[in-house]
Amino acid sequence: MLKLDDVTIKFDAITAVNSVSMEIATNEVVGLVGPNGAGKTTLFNAISGLVRPTSGQIFFNSTNILKAPLHTRARMGIGRSFQIPQPMHELTVRENLLVAQRFGTGKLVPSKVDEILAFLNLADKAQRNAATELSLTELKALEVGKALATAPKLLLLDEVLAGLETTGKRSFMNMLMDLHKKYELGILIIEHDIETISTLCSRVCVLNFGKLIADGTPNEVFRDPQVINSYTGGANA
Amino acid sequence: MKMRALMLVIPIAALYLLVPLLFRSNLYLMSLMVASLTIGGVALAWALLGNLGGMVSFGHAAFFGVGSYVSALLTMKLGLPVLPAMLLGGLGAALASLAMLPALRLKGPYFALAILAYAQIFRILATEFRGITGGAGGLSSIPALPQIFGFDFGSKVGGYVVILTMVITFVFIYYLIRKSYYGLALKAMHESEDATRVVGVNSTLLKALMLCVSAFMTGMIGAFNAHYINFLEPDYAFGASWTVVPIIAAIFGGYRTILGPLVGAIGVYMIDQLIFKNMLPTGHEIILGAMLVGMIIFSPTGLVPLISKKIRTRRFQLWSQNN
Amino acid sequence: MFELILQALYSGLLTGASYALIALGLALVFGTMKIINLAHGELVLLAAYIAYMTESWMKINPVFAIPIALVVVCLTSVIVYFLVSRIEKDRELNSLILTYGIGIILTNAVLLLWKADIHSTGNAWFQQPLVLGSLYSMNSEVIFSVVSVVLMVCVWWWLSRSWYGRAVRAVSSNRDAAKLMGVNPQWTELISFIVAGVLASFAGVAIYSSGVIQPAMGGSLTVKAFIITVLAGAGSIPGVLLGAILLGVAESLTITLYSSALQELTGMLLFLLVLFVLPNGLFGARGRRG
Repeated sequence: MLKLDDVTIKFDAITAVNSVSMEIATNEVVGLVGPNGAGKTTLFNAISGLVRPTSGQIFFNSTNILKAPLHTRARMGIGRSFQIPQPMHELTVRENLLVAQRFGTGKLVPSKVDEILAFLNLADKAQRNAATELSLTELKALEVGKALATAPKLLLLDEVLAGLETTGKRSFMNMLMDLHKKYELGILIIEHDIETISTLCSRVCVLNFGKLIADGTPNEVFRDPQVINSYTGGANA
Repeated sequence: MKMRALMLVIPIAALYLLVPLLFRSNLYLMSLMVASLTIGGVALAWALLGNLGGMVSFGHAAFFGVGSYVSALLTMKLGLPVLPAMLLGGLGAALASLAMLPALRLKGPYFALAILAYAQIFRILATEFRGITGGAGGLSSIPALPQIFGFDFGSKVGGYVVILTMVITFVFIYYLIRKSYYGLALKAMHESEDATRVVGVNSTLLKALMLCVSAFMTGMIGAFNAHYINFLEPDYAFGASWTVVPIIAAIFGGYRTILGPLVGAIGVYMIDQLIFKNMLPTGHEIILGAMLVGMIIFSPTGLVPLISKKIRTRRFQLWSQNN
Repeated sequence: MFELILQALYSGLLTGASYALIALGLALVFGTMKIINLAHGELVLLAAYIAYMTESWMKINPVFAIPIALVVVCLTSVIVYFLVSRIEKDRELNSLILTYGIGIILTNAVLLLWKADIHSTGNAWFQQPLVLGSLYSMNSEVIFSVVSVVLMVCVWWWLSRSWYGRAVRAVSSNRDAAKLMGVNPQWTELISFIVAGVLASFAGVAIYSSGVIQPAMGGSLTVKAFIITVLAGAGSIPGVLLGAILLGVAESLTITLYSSALQELTGMLLFLLVLFVLPNGLFGARGRRG
């Protein structure tokens, strides 16, 4: 479904992403891990369209989306949640999802929106101002909700668990597992928590300094000496 | 819903029937009404661009002038009837706004200044292409609004009815856009544009559309004005007054609301013409300038919201004293 | 033909240098506070009218008006500063509207005090030609340019060497850091407004000496000033001079090759070109515009 072909992203002198090639099949849950600054969010930005790669190609369902603008990619089925939640200002929680659904799918099905809100435990906050009246957990849930409302085929989740305390993390994790079962979509998830990744993902890709250094099942990847070195800063990193 | 619609019918009927009935013999007052509604319409279009589009413009005179000239020339050179020509005048202004699309990328103050530059450019072009536009001398004897079913729309009262209808229509369009999902997306775009783009909103297109709508409205009003006063010249049609007075009116009446700019325009224009102009025949604009300065410092969102806030605070104080 | 172009270049150079003096005050305030003072042209206008008043009342050379102009214009400039500093939200945009309003007040004040007639200096010496080779100019044009360059050098020296100047640069590049180092941003902003007033005073007297003045001029002076400021980019004094000369020469060539009516058009087109294509101006320091 998603294919990255030798994607390189440079910002002036810095190479954030270096010749990364990877594929994600429909309905697959893939983890994207790596130390801070490895280029994970930049890669997400390139897939969703906020950043243009310096070289390489990106294919989504066999279409080259390299030149496609942000909103087109959203309508094609690429959903994105941001690491630092970016709710739509001056709108309520429900309106956030309605707008996402209206423009992301071209149709308006309020019942589906309410379903998503219930699934994310946001139903009782539906009329609250999204930007000013939500807790961090709720904001993060809203991020996922907005993306879900666009009926995506691929969901990019950027560190949804970061900043949550243990109980929040647990319920979120359960919610993410249910998500895959319920909505039948591919998920590419950036997380630091190895336990979460191992539980959720069938495959893991590891980035270090912009390069893809491992791509396999969680078991294989987390025993890979190169991967361990990258986290502990060893000589081979 | 029905109740609210009914409540609107009464004031609108009053505007259409009572005002001409009461004032039709006082031509001066009627012409003031028409002029203030003209400015009100531009103020409304300006506020629409600011509120929905998120862009403050310093050059709405450009759209006003283009609309005036396009309509006047279509009737004079091609013999088109006046009312369709006015529509085309609006379209002409909307097309002219397409030339401003590159400016959409600019940040607030720079967009405002860029539009100012565009207004100057159009004014100079209108003065230069004298073959078409009659140059600095301008166009005179522009065809007036027609007679339909025996009612002369070219008269002061007729002009009043036309501009009133135009303004009410524009208010309705503004209301419809604001209520729609496009309106919601536009509201969110002010501070979280990327969040909207990532869910499929083509924010650039929406902003461009708002610019076109605002330009169309302003252009049509300019066209009306041309056929109402039957005379045009570049310094008048593209004059700074068509930019500045609507801005003062909109801010005075509260530019965040739909009706605020209209109320502001009628208020500001009437007071300026009836009072200030008598106090200082030349240079009465100085008071308008002072008003603008005062408003920005004390109440950037306008005086009407400020006054209503004071009333609400006072009411609350009284209530809490009694309870 | 070549002669004509050479003359156009020379006139443009002189005009440009004088534009630079008009623009420098606005550019300075823009560099310090990131706001565009749309009343700046009116400050210059005020100085010009003070020069007229001095000449017609006291029958002396308008140059002697400079001290009076300095006092009045700097005072007005300070008032503008205090009004602008009262703005709390959206400073960049609201100050634009605010200073526009102040500009309207000043233009109409001039109109009320001195009526709409045009005036120019009665002192004939200013209008006398100064011929260099085959290049023709007026005494006043050359003096204006020289004064302009001298003042620009002074300001440039002041910004780079003096303590006040360094404080101004510190605040404009990082306001909070400057505060932590003991610099009071409000003082430096006030100082830049005062210096802008000084520059405007000289520019106004020079304009009166070399051309005609009328109340409506304020607006077009402001427009020229901000075109040049944007051309130059933030934080560059040589940029202001070069940008001004570019504008002057472009206008001069337009007059010679096309028509004098399109002169204003040149400025506008140049302005839009820079806004769209070179957002940092021709010589400016880094800073995103869009």
